Amino acid sequence: MIATLLFVAFLGLMFVGVPIGAALGLAGATAIALANADSQWFGLLAVPQNFYAGLGKYPLLAIPMFVLVGSIFDRSGVALRLVNFAISIVGRGPGMLPLVAICVAMFLGGISGSGPATAAAVGGVMIAAMASAGYPAAFSASVVAGAAATDILIPPSVAFIVYSVLVPGASVPALFAAGLVPGVLAGLALIVPTVWLARRHKMGQLESSLPRPPFWKSLREASWGLAAPVLILGGMRAGLFTPTEAAVVAVFYGLFVGMVVHRTIKVRDLFAILRESGELSAVILIVVSLAGIFAFSLSTLGVIDPVTRAIVNSGLNEYGVLGLLIVLLLVLGMFLDGISILLIFVPLLMPIINHYQWDVVWFGVVLVMTVAVGQFTPPMAVNLMVSSRIANVRMEQTTRWVVWLVLAMCVAMLLVVAFPQLALWVPARLGY
Amino acid sequence: MSFLQPPEPGAEAPLPVDANHSAALEPRSVRLEDWLIVSVMAALALITFANVLVRYFTSSSFAWTEEISVFLMIVLALVGGSAAVVRNQHIRIEYFAEGGSAARSRRMALLGAAAVALLFSVIAVLSVRVVWDDFRFDETSPGIGVPQWWYSVWLPVFSALITVRAAGQFMRSKRQVTGPETPAQHSAAPESNA
Repeated sequence: MIATLLFVAFLGLMFVGVPIGAALGLAGATAIALANADSQWFGLLAVPQNFYAGLGKYPLLAIPMFVLVGSIFDRSGVALRLVNFAISIVGRGPGMLPLVAICVAMFLGGISGSGPATAAAVGGVMIAAMASAGYPAAFSASVVAGAAATDILIPPSVAFIVYSVLVPGASVPALFAAGLVPGVLAGLALIVPTVWLARRHKMGQLESSLPRPPFWKSLREASWGLAAPVLILGGMRAGLFTPTEAAVVAVFYGLFVGMVVHRTIKVRDLFAILRESGELSAVILIVVSLAGIFAFSLSTLGVIDPVTRAIVNSGLNEYGVLGLLIVLLLVLGMFLDGISILLIFVPLLMPIINHYQWDVVWFGVVLVMTVAVGQFTPPMAVNLMVSSRIANVRMEQTTRWVVWLVLAMCVAMLLVVAFPQLALWVPARLGY
Repeated sequence: MSFLQPPEPGAEAPLPVDANHSAALEPRSVRLEDWLIVSVMAALALITFANVLVRYFTSSSFAWTEEISVFLMIVLALVGGSAAVVRNQHIRIEYFAEGGSAARSRRMALLGAAAVALLFSVIAVLSVRVVWDDFRFDETSPGIGVPQWWYSVWLPVFSALITVRAAGQFMRSKRQVTGPETPAQHSAAPESNA
């Protein structure tokens, strides 16, 4: 009864435009008060305690640091140089600019940890370039939104950090390693329909008349950016840094590149960079801590066990349950941002994962991949919102293009579901 | 059908792309929060970086700073959360919050601000009790061993700040009679720094 109220209150508040964190916190606090009507202060002292405990975890410090990395590399001029370098390799054929956009977004995913930041960085450079080469703006916006969604799969990823905090037994390095192949697979899956659509609709006819940047010069200019993922991922792999330390090393590397090498960041920009990334991190961290209150009321109300039993005894087999979960998460991913979904559903799903003895790292990858698809599925996609704003198109105009990309990424996701080794081979190989 | 021509410009007025832009549209004073956010972010980056350097060059560990970093991160979440209330940056389902008529989105803004104010006033009041317990029972922090209330006392303070900011947003939306296109924000009195 109280459990039903918990979910109804949360959904109701969310649908009338209350911020997700506040909806989680209010629903959780109400449920705690109703369940402990006889105790002192209705047991509500658990509210500030869980708020504090939900935040007070050292691994979460990686979130503000990776958000800061993204914000610095956004302005470091690295994206533009990577684009030139990629064009110098693939040349100026039809469909090549969108391919470059996807590859650069994937590469930046190896530096920053969040999708919308990459959508902004790549969109800022590529959407104008694609427009002058004759690609329709709605198509460019779709490609950038899809490509940026690979970000939360390709390490480093804020989503994996949150999942690791929620799930004991899934370490951040193991998740990062596991996301690598599925992330690249998702990117390749996007390239196929993108190039096909570009050729079929004869887009980008002006592209072949544009100059091709010289290879060696572009390589030299892009080398600072090319070295960044080596530093971050290589440093973590070699055991030099923890994820948080790798992030902070990347912060100072990015500042060096932006302020000294490319000179795109001025000293007075530092205030804006720190403020913007601090506020964005705070928005994520507040949801993390308020979800702590929600998760506490879920566990004390004893909701999780009956739900698990109902699902396990529903007559569906293991794959039926998995399929159901994926469909549910895909639908939710259209409405909610990825981190909120993880925070709400991972505590609910843990007993199911344990029951079927699914690998927690593999399940984390599938979960994040599903959420990634939702980030650019209309009508309520975060990444699509960012890239449509940059391209100055309405989101509905992108639907006819983005649908193909969504389908392609779903195929990649199903491959990871069917062949868990795609995710698990790299971490096993690296010994995590 | 050919797609050679670039899209017609100005089909729709550009929406604010990022926090900076929308902040520029809303001349609101959240300078207190902004300075705190910037200082805390800089401190977090410097402490963590110093940790790496110290570990490599001296082989001694600096691990007690973890406690300070975690505390600073909590401050960041609360203070940044307060600034995000004023700038409307908190994660919500934008489709519902921004869709519909002006009156409807105003009602939603009112409701959202009220919900945030209610939640954080509850947290502020309840956490006073947590601080009192920390003080009464002489709780010390696990890492450095300083009194725990030195840390926890900021939870009610910053929760109250968020409450005040959300209440300010509520009043501002309430005064804003017309649709979101009118620059009603300018007529609203800028909030004073607490």
